[in-house]
Amino acid sequence: MLRTTLAGLRLHKARYVTTTLAILLGVMFIAGTMVFSDSLKASYEKSVMGSASSVDTIATTESLEDQDGNWEDPVPFTQEQLDQVRDLPEVAEADGVRRGPGLLLDDEGRTFGMIPPEAMTVGEVTRFEVSEGELPDSYDEMVLATTISDPTGFEVGDSVTVLDSEQQEQEFTVTGLIDVGLDSELSYRGAFILTPEAYASVTGAEGYHEIDALAADGTSEEDVATAVAGVLGEGADVKTSTEFGNAKAAEAGANAEMIRTGLMLFALVAVFVAGIVIYNTFAILVAQRQREMALLRCVGAKRGQVFRSMLTESFVVGLVASILGLLAGIGLGMLGIRFGGPLMGEDLDLAVVVTPAAVIIGLVVGVSITVFSALVPALRATRVSPLAALSTSATAAGMEKGTGKLRAVMGILLFLFSGGIVTLGLQGDSNSAAMWIVAVGAIVAFLGVVVLGPLLVRGIVGLIGAPLRHVGVPSKLAVDNSTRSPRRAATAMIALTVGATLITGYSVINATMQETTSQQLDGKYPVDYQLSPMLNMEDEAAEGEGEEVASEDVGGTDLSTIPESVRSDLAARPEIDQVFASRSDYVDSADDRIADDDGTVPVSSYVDATVGEEVEVDVLGGDLADFGPGSVLISEDRGGSLEAGDSISLGDSEHEFEIAAVVASSGMFFGLTLDPEDYEQVVPEVTGDSAVMVLGNDSASSSELREAVYSTVDEYPTVSVTSMAEMRQQFDEILTTAFYAIAAMLGLAIIIAVFGISNTMALSVLERTRESAILRAMGLTKAQMRRMLGVEAVLLCLIGAGIGVLLGVVFGWAAISAALPDIVFGFPTGQVVTFLAIAVLAGVVSSLLPARRAARTSITGALASQ
Amino acid sequence: MSTPAAQTHSPIQAPPVVVARALTKTYDTGGAQVHALAGVDVDFHRGAFTAIMGPSGSGKSTLMHCLAGLDVPTSGSVHLGRTQITGMRDGDLTLLRRDRIGFIFQSFNLLPMLTAEQNILLPSQIAKRKVDPARFDHIVDVVGLRDRLSHLPAKLSGGQQQRVAVARALLNAPEVVYADEPTGNLDSRSGAEILAFLRDSARDLNQTIVMVTHDPVAASYADRVVFLRDGRLVDEVSDPTAELVSERLLKLEA
Repeated sequence: MLRTTLAGLRLHKARYVTTTLAILLGVMFIAGTMVFSDSLKASYEKSVMGSASSVDTIATTESLEDQDGNWEDPVPFTQEQLDQVRDLPEVAEADGVRRGPGLLLDDEGRTFGMIPPEAMTVGEVTRFEVSEGELPDSYDEMVLATTISDPTGFEVGDSVTVLDSEQQEQEFTVTGLIDVGLDSELSYRGAFILTPEAYASVTGAEGYHEIDALAADGTSEEDVATAVAGVLGEGADVKTSTEFGNAKAAEAGANAEMIRTGLMLFALVAVFVAGIVIYNTFAILVAQRQREMALLRCVGAKRGQVFRSMLTESFVVGLVASILGLLAGIGLGMLGIRFGGPLMGEDLDLAVVVTPAAVIIGLVVGVSITVFSALVPALRATRVSPLAALSTSATAAGMEKGTGKLRAVMGILLFLFSGGIVTLGLQGDSNSAAMWIVAVGAIVAFLGVVVLGPLLVRGIVGLIGAPLRHVGVPSKLAVDNSTRSPRRAATAMIALTVGATLITGYSVINATMQETTSQQLDGKYPVDYQLSPMLNMEDEAAEGEGEEVASEDVGGTDLSTIPESVRSDLAARPEIDQVFASRSDYVDSADDRIADDDGTVPVSSYVDATVGEEVEVDVLGGDLADFGPGSVLISEDRGGSLEAGDSISLGDSEHEFEIAAVVASSGMFFGLTLDPEDYEQVVPEVTGDSAVMVLGNDSASSSELREAVYSTVDEYPTVSVTSMAEMRQQFDEILTTAFYAIAAMLGLAIIIAVFGISNTMALSVLERTRESAILRAMGLTKAQMRRMLGVEAVLLCLIGAGIGVLLGVVFGWAAISAALPDIVFGFPTGQVVTFLAIAVLAGVVSSLLPARRAARTSITGALASQ
Repeated sequence: MSTPAAQTHSPIQAPPVVVARALTKTYDTGGAQVHALAGVDVDFHRGAFTAIMGPSGSGKSTLMHCLAGLDVPTSGSVHLGRTQITGMRDGDLTLLRRDRIGFIFQSFNLLPMLTAEQNILLPSQIAKRKVDPARFDHIVDVVGLRDRLSHLPAKLSGGQQQRVAVARALLNAPEVVYADEPTGNLDSRSGAEILAFLRDSARDLNQTIVMVTHDPVAASYADRVVFLRDGRLVDEVSDPTAELVSERLLKLEA
């Protein structure tokens, strides 16, 4: 029996070409993902493992829990502690690393980053190694982290300005670059290394954040670490360089794992689509080979043998395709590492790693999806009765009997069920859980499409085919052909629907996010520029400490607000129409209806602007007209049971305020909003603004406006300037890049689906050989024949894509509505038109080979067979 | 069957519609050359119903395919009217078949997804030809398909399916209709009906018909029978009877 199966496979190998390709592509994606992420992981690990090898022991400061269960800030090591470490007999040499926020001016003379980068100084003994150049050895030299040099364009030899603790500019020459790629904090904030003297002048900070030590001769890493830990005591995290490397490698590995998980999701979609294609191929083959199977039964093959024969066939096909896919996947992984690695900003060791897991998973997934997809067709094959198949002419079939009412009822029930789930998801608060509920609804709806598929094909072809019938005989025949086996057509088309739904869904989400941001930015009074003070790392930790937040500083100068003079200077410029500011802070309140657990409440105020005009607000209760000195606006989430007219008290001197209105919580309205006069009373010690908004004059061009804003803040380098137009552009770019990345990932699933449609067409052509011969004999030209098949394939692709687009629009919208509040629906018209155009093209392409075959078949040969 | 009137207007005397000269067809099958046609000269006259007979492998189907422009002979010529069809390009042959030739095959004559009426009209639609409604009605009535027009082939009996095929072939009054074993798959009663239609349309509509068959009874409906053996025309009978044809055939196979 095995010999018969294999002989059959050899005979029919042409029929398996596209099936093999479908499996191959799916396995290729999986294996490629595995190889890529394994290689990435290995090179990440290798690069961080090596990073600590220049020293033996690394001690870092650690947060401690105080008696109330709060985490305290880590306490730097003292000079005394460093000396103690140096004095240890186990330690040959040791040096400390100092780190503190330092302000560095970028190529435009503005401070770099929203958060000050880390200024550092290291000793002779250090785990930090420059990747280019040398460590600084005189006062005016510095080493830049690549996370600063890349965006600013600074190179070795350039002069860079740093603001010292007195806010005075100091010039440094770049002598080297350091790659801090895998240290998440340093790479996010950026870092630069100075000599100890320059460091002291820039940050004014004392103490060491890290001590790196070398072991004395004959002492093991472990012994040094133990000894160092003994000296430093609590608040120190001491690791051998091996432990340190391992810990960093684990972090880096987790990064690679995330990439793997993301890519794997797309790979699974591709494999799922390949499964549908395989199922359809085997289903058609079984139908076409009824006679063959019946003959086998006639000569004595048992049902079980026929079943096993089909499964063996699928196993062999799956195995061959998976092995090819695996090889292609390794190639893909290599390409990914070669071209994708550098794109991810990692200049890493690019060795390709093929783990046994990658090989096994690729093969197992490929083979099992093939065998599993062939299961139902194989079972159907066993039901062929020996005589029935021989007596009927199976090939003229391809015509299916009507699809049952049961199908219609089931499909409609599934759609209703899906509708119910989505409605449920859209009620209540917007959050990610609601989005998952919508996703489940989408899967149920997809099942509905699967069940209703044959009816949908018939219905839609009936609808859009009607005008096509009048175009010409080829189109008319194509319309008729496309509905003669709706189940087959539906399965082929559904493979395409999967990809189309996902892409459209994502593109709707994307367009909606773009539209929503755009509307928010435009608003009634579109702000052109926003100025904000330097953010401080400590802000989060210090939150809730009342007024003390206001005096948070870098190097002793208050940077947490923008001086009032900035606002007045800006207002004086003719290019600028209006300037207003927001101020916010935390104040103490004994009123526990509004205060947080720590007895403070966030307050804010808008200066030179009218709430309800320039500053948009949703009033939920009370009247905005009542808002003025002596009254407050309270945000909904803070107000609890409070209503307009109630009184609250604020501040040390117990100011009394009446609530004018309750407003919706938003980025602009949280806690209490006060009149500027009252705000000064409540927060007397702060005179600066928390943010300044600039509205340009219509007569000023965008470059004039930009010049006006930048020249005004020239002397305040620490004020960061955000252009709303630039921000929107950046945001759009991020969304567009994400869209193309995701579309490319889903592209493979679509290619597989197109293979499936091509395969279905090819098998149908085979089945209709004699019919084609009759048509040709009656005078249908080869071109008309090709057009006939082309139209049929385009119809299939259009229906598949059309249903996908519909599902994608509905569920993309539902998902984003469930996930985020207050969205503005955006419809990606251009993209949807592109998808449909691609569907038409895909139809044409998928019909090329089958049509060529059909047109080339000899008429007399086809007439003679049978 | 041979009335005096038919004698005077004997279709065999009319000018030939299809003329084949020195027709050969050679196949290469693994080194050995097989001569399916080894020099055939034959004429088919307007309004004549001719049967081509011969034992299996005598080349009768090949002859028909070459005459109809479905297959290309190795050498020799075929004329349809004044047109020489040998040497024509495939595209022109297609148009020639479309416009000037009708076909009836043994089985699977019809497209399963089209109704009887759509099948009958298909060649006209492919050629974008106007159909004369009177002729359509007449032919549909003659073959007795009036109440079956909206049926799909699957709902028709074998005889009804062949009647659809006959109606389709006759509708456009092509210069010649080729029928390849049109009754091969039918019971004798249905077969007799089909053959009677063919004979009547040759007489009443002056339709030229060439039929390949191996059934002497079928051949007896024709005006003339030509016999083929080993790719050569070896005998010919006019106004045949089944007995006469059987006798000749037996002699050929002996």
